Amino acid sequence: MTNEGNIIALLPLLLFMAVMVGISIFVRHKQAGKNFVGSYFIGNRNLGGFVLAMTTVATYSSVSSFVGGPGMAYKIGCGWIYMAVVQVTAIFLVLGIFGKRVALLARKFNAVTVVDIIRERFNSNFLAAVSAFVIVLFFCGTMTAQFVGGAKLFSTVTGYGYEVGLVLFGLIVVICTSIGGFRAVAITDTCCALIMMVGIVLLLNYVLQYGGGYENIMTTIETNNPEMLEPFSAGNMPLGLYFTQWLLVGICTIALPQSVVRGISYKNTKGLHSAMLIGTVVVGFMNIGINFAGVLAHGVLPGTPEDYGGVDNIIPTTIVTVMPIELVGLAIIGPLAASISTISGLLIVASSAIIKDVYMHYKPNTESSKLKMLSMATTAIIGGVVFFIALTPPSLIWLINMFAFGGLETAFFWTLLLGLFWKGANKAGAMLSMIGGTIIYCATQAAGFKILGLHQITIGITVSLILFLIGCKFGKSSDKETLEKFFPND
Amino acid sequence: MAKILNFKQKMTEAEKFSVVRREAIYTGVALALLIIFWLIAGFGLMSVDVKIFHLPLWAVAGSVGVWIFAICASYILSHKIFKDIDLGGDDDDK
Repeated sequence: MTNEGNIIALLPLLLFMAVMVGISIFVRHKQAGKNFVGSYFIGNRNLGGFVLAMTTVATYSSVSSFVGGPGMAYKIGCGWIYMAVVQVTAIFLVLGIFGKRVALLARKFNAVTVVDIIRERFNSNFLAAVSAFVIVLFFCGTMTAQFVGGAKLFSTVTGYGYEVGLVLFGLIVVICTSIGGFRAVAITDTCCALIMMVGIVLLLNYVLQYGGGYENIMTTIETNNPEMLEPFSAGNMPLGLYFTQWLLVGICTIALPQSVVRGISYKNTKGLHSAMLIGTVVVGFMNIGINFAGVLAHGVLPGTPEDYGGVDNIIPTTIVTVMPIELVGLAIIGPLAASISTISGLLIVASSAIIKDVYMHYKPNTESSKLKMLSMATTAIIGGVVFFIALTPPSLIWLINMFAFGGLETAFFWTLLLGLFWKGANKAGAMLSMIGGTIIYCATQAAGFKILGLHQITIGITVSLILFLIGCKFGKSSDKETLEKFFPND
Repeated sequence: MAKILNFKQKMTEAEKFSVVRREAIYTGVALALLIIFWLIAGFGLMSVDVKIFHLPLWAVAGSVGVWIFAICASYILSHKIFKDIDLGGDDDDK
């Protein structure tokens, strides 16, 4: 079921995108004359609590949270919501554990990226270059998943071609990020997060109406799919999946560079404290709301996911089925906004990894105008490369997303956690952990090798820890000067 | 307000890092408590035959309950335990 290229479905989306471009141009104009690197990559450390919360949530919540995830909730039932709710920890953990420490260190070293801090902590340009490479590599995977998910959704819901969707919102996100930098990303992320919440409320409302009310839908589920009300969903939701999801989308997300960098960007600790609370409220609302909509979609789509072309098609088909054409465009802004905000957040960090962490390190005296041009060009080129990869879409968005999440967590979890909180952490440990862990993680993914059927993050994160400890045991300790800078309290 | 600003400005760098370390540990403790709550609210209640709004108790407690627990934990951390500190640099408003 599609709308066969209906322009009415497209109008709200076009309007939203025009607003995004407008914001980026405005931000660019407002930042004219300020220090380019500081304003482009971290928005001059000026974010308040609300924007900090929203940009962290929006970057973290991707199109897979709005399309693949609820599609799985449709298949699995309440067990999927029980699993997805572990994501309520994501915001207070990253801001509570790294928020202030990273902010203090960034101001001390004038750092604008996570890689800057890693370079200072381990005194290693090589490790910094590896970090930048890992960031760009896995971000490309995540961004591809976002492009594909967004364009598929666009195509199903509006009736326009997949490529049209890809060009339209791909161009918008690359233009907005290239022009406005981090500050524009943060503000557009905030708009995206608000629109996501409106989209969830609208979708829930129309699903309930179409399905004959909440009681009717739930009675249908109890009768036809009673396993959806069990935590293990008659074997569809194994215990191992709960365990690995706690690692993948819960605990280990604290080390995602796109989240940690938010710790460099806020104005003061009062803002951080507000962001922890607001972010937890918002991320919980989104996760429970959209996944519950996936469960309730049984009142709209009575078949199996396969009847509708797989789990990724459940939410798009539900939107087209239940919503009036004038609101369809508004409803898909939510998931597309999730996609746009994630891509923009990753693009700016990937761009900073190349320009700030690699190029500027070797050419520190580059003129500001040249730097500006290079940064914008790099952002546009990375976006362009991902755009072309997405032209031949891979399937199962949430799996690609999880692969990239796992890779980043394997590479950065121990390096950041132990590096910033343990004096015994050293360069050899960090290097072994990041390189060895990432290689093992990718190799086990490629070979499809699992232990006890658990996601390869369990292998990656364990190997990464073991290698870190081996490196620390046999490698040279960090020098006294570095330790005094990072641990002045000890 | 003046008292808070005074406290922020008086802290030495070592004290700030010490506070930040303690706050990170408290955040870890909050995570551990949330995991325990999640286990009890979901798996722990799965055999209880009570329904709320047509949903089994474990599903409500394991989703909305965990969310409320996380909000409370965030509130306690950010408003009761965490301290305002001057982050240094020119851009921190004192």
